[in-house]
Amino acid sequence: MAGSGHAPLRGGDSTILEVEDLTVEFRVGRRDVVHAVSGISFDVLEGETLGIVGESGCGKSTVARSIVRLNEIAGGSVRYLDHDLAALSGAALRSLRPDLQMIFQDPISSLNPRRKVREVIAEGLVIWGDGQGVWSRDRIDELMETVGIDPEFGDRRVHQFSGGQAQRIGIARALALDPKVLICDEPVSALDVSVQAQILNLLEDMKQRYGLTLVFISHDLSVVKNVSDRIIVMYLGKACEIGDADLLYEQPRHPYTRALLASIPQPAPTVDESEGDISGEIPSPVSPPGGCRFRTRCPYVSAVCISDEPEMQQVGDSDHYVACHHPVVR
Amino acid sequence: MTFTLEQGEMLGIVGESGSGKSVTAKALMNLLPRTAEIDGRVRFDGEDVRALAAAGSRHFWGVRMTMVFQDPMTSLNPVKKCGEQIAETLRYHLGHGRVAAMKAATDLLEQVGVPEPGRRVNQYPHQLSGGLRQRVVIAMALACEPDLLIADEPTTAVDVTVQKRILDLLDSLRKERGMSMILITHDLGVARGRCDDVAVMYAGRIVERSSTETLFDRSRHPYTDALVRSIPRIEQPSHARLDPIPGRPPELIDPPVQCAFAPRCRYAQADCLESVPPTEGVGESHEFACHHPANTPRGREALANNVAAGVTAAGLQISYRKTR
Repeated sequence: MAGSGHAPLRGGDSTILEVEDLTVEFRVGRRDVVHAVSGISFDVLEGETLGIVGESGCGKSTVARSIVRLNEIAGGSVRYLDHDLAALSGAALRSLRPDLQMIFQDPISSLNPRRKVREVIAEGLVIWGDGQGVWSRDRIDELMETVGIDPEFGDRRVHQFSGGQAQRIGIARALALDPKVLICDEPVSALDVSVQAQILNLLEDMKQRYGLTLVFISHDLSVVKNVSDRIIVMYLGKACEIGDADLLYEQPRHPYTRALLASIPQPAPTVDESEGDISGEIPSPVSPPGGCRFRTRCPYVSAVCISDEPEMQQVGDSDHYVACHHPVVR
Repeated sequence: MTFTLEQGEMLGIVGESGSGKSVTAKALMNLLPRTAEIDGRVRFDGEDVRALAAAGSRHFWGVRMTMVFQDPMTSLNPVKKCGEQIAETLRYHLGHGRVAAMKAATDLLEQVGVPEPGRRVNQYPHQLSGGLRQRVVIAMALACEPDLLIADEPTTAVDVTVQKRILDLLDSLRKERGMSMILITHDLGVARGRCDDVAVMYAGRIVERSSTETLFDRSRHPYTDALVRSIPRIEQPSHARLDPIPGRPPELIDPPVQCAFAPRCRYAQADCLESVPPTEGVGESHEFACHHPANTPRGREALANNVAAGVTAAGLQISYRKTR
């Protein structure tokens, strides 16, 4: 599955974010290198929601963190409008920070426990000003109301809120700087099911209201489908399949995508439940297999999968790309 | 709460965090702290389990009734080899010798689908992946051939492909051994796909219990109904608007005498705020605790009244009528 290649890049004027051949590596110990992300390419159009789905260790969070430069980039480029974020540093990078904001999985531990929530939300504005070099309490109260937190509670601290409310505060904090792109790393995974839908609806409302572009990372296939226009399926640092959300779930081509869809408790009707029985364990990202990275577990594996890495190829003329030597057609 | 479990059956207990699922499991396993006040009776195969606890019976839990916890890393001893941890159970409870116990541990690992069991018995938990660790924990729980296995969120910490394998494994072991199981989960999909019966908990009570099919197709409690609707479903097109449950679960310190779900319920009427609804249909195939059950004339009338008024008796605004 190792898909590389630029086929899924659509280009055009409305591209807000373009990630090309992104490679991220982490050194472990003296000699070893974790190949967290290996040559992934995708783009996001303005106003679009891109979902990234995959199992733990597939590199989806690393991709998200690379976009906001929370980790070093070993190769490739991350273009935001006309800027290559991978090449920027210092003041030039900092000046773009308000445009790219992030919300995290654990809403409580990702916010400062010692600050009042009003201060947490205002912190970005204190640093940046809200356009006029000042920030007003009204603006914070308005933000709190928008995300569904009573401004009366602005003097409380984060631990006095439930997980769902804390995630709303995290969203308000990110929105305070009027970002263009909001990166959401598993924003509902730690929340109870009854609260999850509230947050997903809120994100959808905020997207409309502020004209946001979202990058949404989750391991939950149903959640990703619900929020996304376009989805990337990742495995061991590579993209397997990219495409329009509905199309990808209706006609999954990659054996790994199919395995995921067949593994969930109520399998998707487009796959056979037995396709979820993939063998073995995910290989170590320190020494990923050559050729296709999914070959050690793939039921369709052949000699070419061992020798050659599959390139991303378009399926027909639709917005659907798969990196597999033996894509499944049903 | 009251429920019964037949031999060989799989009961699912679903609910959100703080609803009392794990406390129930711990009460059954005699794992609650001393400060807990426990009332009522637990009968296991005719025996009073709480009397066993008082008598200090050491070979009941871990032998006839065992438990698998959510996080396999914290339920394993990090400085002891996996095989020794399984063997320990056998030596303590069944009096196996060291060699026989290690041999049995290897066999158990093989039964739960751990590849190369002979090598794995000599490894430490941190050398195994999350899925394999959970298999080791399951092997420990199965070591003494229990009659009842309680699995508390056994797959919450693992990926979906691993989850499927663990649940398939538990299913086949249960069928092979005629073992009963209680599966505690917050994931409705898991309960729906795996359990014979499902009990839904809210604020410390079972609010609805029935066969899995009935529970999901003809739910009576508005909480069950709302929960099922609030989850994104894979067959829906993307951007389908979700139907969330407003508000959040109640605090359980000094709860008011009323239906605990009333403040979040679209069906709530005045009587919901005055008394805790009794459980209807106890001992029958479908029981629920609600004054105005969903999908019944009583419930439809309550909902219609609330929709007409735009607000429930508990003060919840309802702007539109939910359609299935």
